[in-house]
Amino acid sequence: MQGVPRQISRGGKSLRQVVWDLPVRLFHWLLAALIAFSWWTVHRHHTDWHIWSGCAILTLLIFRILWGFVGSSTARFSSFVRGPRAIADYWRGKWVGIGHSPLGALSVLALLFAVAVQVGLGLVSEDEDGIYMGPLAGLVSSETSDKARHIHELWFYVILGLVVVHVLAIFYYQLRGRELTVPMITGRAEVEPGTEPMRRGKWWAALICLAIGIGITRWIIAGAPPFGS
Amino acid sequence: MRSKFVAAAAMCVSLAACNGWKSGQANSAQGNISKDNRPPATAKASVVTNNGMTNSMVMLAVPLPRDRALQVMKVRHDGMEAIGDANKALHRALGSSDIPTIRANAAKIAQLSQQASTWFPAGTGPDVAKTRAKADIWQSADDFASKLRAFQTAARALQLAAAGNNVAAMNARFAALGGACKACHDKYRAEESH
Repeated sequence: MQGVPRQISRGGKSLRQVVWDLPVRLFHWLLAALIAFSWWTVHRHHTDWHIWSGCAILTLLIFRILWGFVGSSTARFSSFVRGPRAIADYWRGKWVGIGHSPLGALSVLALLFAVAVQVGLGLVSEDEDGIYMGPLAGLVSSETSDKARHIHELWFYVILGLVVVHVLAIFYYQLRGRELTVPMITGRAEVEPGTEPMRRGKWWAALICLAIGIGITRWIIAGAPPFGS
Repeated sequence: MRSKFVAAAAMCVSLAACNGWKSGQANSAQGNISKDNRPPATAKASVVTNNGMTNSMVMLAVPLPRDRALQVMKVRHDGMEAIGDANKALHRALGSSDIPTIRANAAKIAQLSQQASTWFPAGTGPDVAKTRAKADIWQSADDFASKLRAFQTAARALQLAAAGNNVAAMNARFAALGGACKACHDKYRAEESH
């Protein structure tokens, strides 16, 4: 055993390598938890918690978009947002790499977009009784706020649909022997030898992205432009 | 014709009730509405609103005939919508400290809150027609009546605060009113169906 290279001891098949950095994993699971929490709170009539949850999701979204430009290689949009040709290649099994697959990237973009729309609608919504207003609801008319709430309620099903597709895809890969859930927890996955490893983002860059996310969210909570209408 | 007369009479009674808001309960502005912990032992016969009007229609034992019930339910629906609209306008006016708008809508809500005493006679539940009013209202009539009273008290307290110029006090009363609305809606109003 001693002296045997690790790669050979594993039959030369694959290596466990870091594919997801901590910020991406935290973002993923916090987003999943907050979407569930938002759904639960609004159904239990905890509208104030629901609004706070939406503000937390807003912070996460801003963070993730920034991290998509300055984060680790697998977090960057430039590394995973590909054209239709790459998707077609992937479909024919001609794709090697770590991080989001070209097809999975579509799912990521769709989910980020759907959640961003939902947060935007929530910011300008008011509840049906006029007891709660989203942080930016004062910038629009009451009629607009009510319309936004109706779309916000229906848009949830768009998110639900995307989440169902996302989870079904993970089951599908699982059946075909590809484990995706554990790597999103531990950050490590089996990787083909020779695959270019993940380049880590700077920890201080992550903190700056988070600070900007919190800053913009606080500004919005204050009622935006010159702090309220 | 007869049903129209009854509806008109009900409106007269409720409007008459509105005139009394100033005469009593100046101290209601001090009370914390959400902590209205009066025992539910209030006898059915003596359910009385704060201005002395017997809340008899809430407790009416004999269900209304269908045509009258439908009329009451329409008045109730429109009234609740009007309260909601006034509350939304008031909320926005609080954001911009627009005191005349706050006053007008606080008065509207206080007035409608008094009319609400006549909106829930027995026989106007979900078994009669499409409504978000749950059957629990008539099964827990005492609790419902006390929540309705809390709403009326909170609406008057906001109206009193709006008579002054202290926007912080109005905000506090507005929050308390919202709490009173919510306490009843969470328990006795069914979800909105799409």
